[in-house]
Amino acid sequence: MPDWVDPVAHYMLHEGLKNTLRIAVFAVIGSTIVGVVLGTLMTIRFLPLQALLRLYVEVWRGLPILVTIFLVYYALPTAPYLHHRFGAFTGAAIGLTLWGSAQVAEATRGAVQSIPREQHEAAAALGFGWVGRHRSVILPQALRRLLPPLVSLLANVIQNTTIASLIGVSELLSTGQRSVERLQFTSPESHAFVIYGAVMLGFFCVSFPLTRLAIVLERRMV
Amino acid sequence: MVASFDWQFIWDHLPDFWQGLKATLKVAGIGIAGSLAIGIVLGAARAHRIPVISWLAAIYVEVIRNTPILVQIFFVSGALPHFPGHPIRLDPFTIAWLSVMIWGGAYNTENFRAAFEAVPYRYREAGLALGFSRLATFFNITFPIGARIALPSSINTYVSVLKNTSLLTAIGFAELTNTAYSLESESFKPTEIYFALGATYLVVVWSLSALLRIVEWRLTLPETR
Repeated sequence: MPDWVDPVAHYMLHEGLKNTLRIAVFAVIGSTIVGVVLGTLMTIRFLPLQALLRLYVEVWRGLPILVTIFLVYYALPTAPYLHHRFGAFTGAAIGLTLWGSAQVAEATRGAVQSIPREQHEAAAALGFGWVGRHRSVILPQALRRLLPPLVSLLANVIQNTTIASLIGVSELLSTGQRSVERLQFTSPESHAFVIYGAVMLGFFCVSFPLTRLAIVLERRMV
Repeated sequence: MVASFDWQFIWDHLPDFWQGLKATLKVAGIGIAGSLAIGIVLGAARAHRIPVISWLAAIYVEVIRNTPILVQIFFVSGALPHFPGHPIRLDPFTIAWLSVMIWGGAYNTENFRAAFEAVPYRYREAGLALGFSRLATFFNITFPIGARIALPSSINTYVSVLKNTSLLTAIGFAELTNTAYSLESESFKPTEIYFALGATYLVVVWSLSALLRIVEWRLTLPETR
């Protein structure tokens, strides 16, 4: 193996892949919590609340994730009333969470509505209030149906963390890019093909098992 | 210190946004048309288990769906020109439509494969029993029914192709997001520019999905409507 490989691989795995997974973990946990709460609230038949939540979901699903991240990272610091400055890492994690939570909210709404009415009625008859009924009876059943879309979301979030490289977070793609540029100073031939190929392979190795798992879980639910 | 929202600035730069939007729509249009064609052809090959083509299509689908589109864009623009032994150099516009089309094609292959497989086998048998060739059976029976089944999931793919064109800003292709980005770096009005950018995307994305849903509704068979 040529001697440039070792430091590049070390940099891409310890700096790049680590940050990729860190952003992904933050975004997935945030998306799941916000999405499950909002998705459950979406099933309440109260028009102004439904309209508000529908708007939330449609806006963050409609915007390209890059534009959401630009809004959080570049537009928010100078916005009237809202102004706040986030770091690149936090900005990217928030942008991905806004998008992910909209996906989870929509999936949760579907999962909660798929639980038979009788479950609601039985829980109500046992004296559960709205919160207790959802926490102890409805959501535990709905979450089982939510598992396959959540695993796919994890795979998608990991892939979409690459967008964070465009606001300067050093995740897997940008460490690869920087390595290509750096090696151009010392060697006459470019290593772009090998390095971008390795980045693709890296993402494939993380993402492929997850998409398989989502398919297996989906099949087992039916 | 925060200045108030400068509407006049957005108004003055509408022509710039329009230029960017035109490029976005052009690339998205080619990408969507291309991914429709790829989806039908490879989806049919997958569903009918045509040897070799079906296996290659399966590899194509898994590779594209399990790697980030931004890495694919960098691969086409940054790695192909250094392909060992046979460099492939493409102009930015080709890189733009090609990379979003390859991505959409993979997702659409899966949409159409699932849809063609969902067409009941007895329909195909009926076609063959009537003396249609395998190809005629596909065009007269499997395709008209399967394409309708594929519509809801492929609509999501087309909308995503449109949204993914925003990532072409990474290679400096002057589409909508890139136009906004360059405008910001010379005017220092990020709030106005990115709010206008977001609003533009929402209008375009929502219009496209509304339009596709109208098409879907028009194509629904009367008995299932």
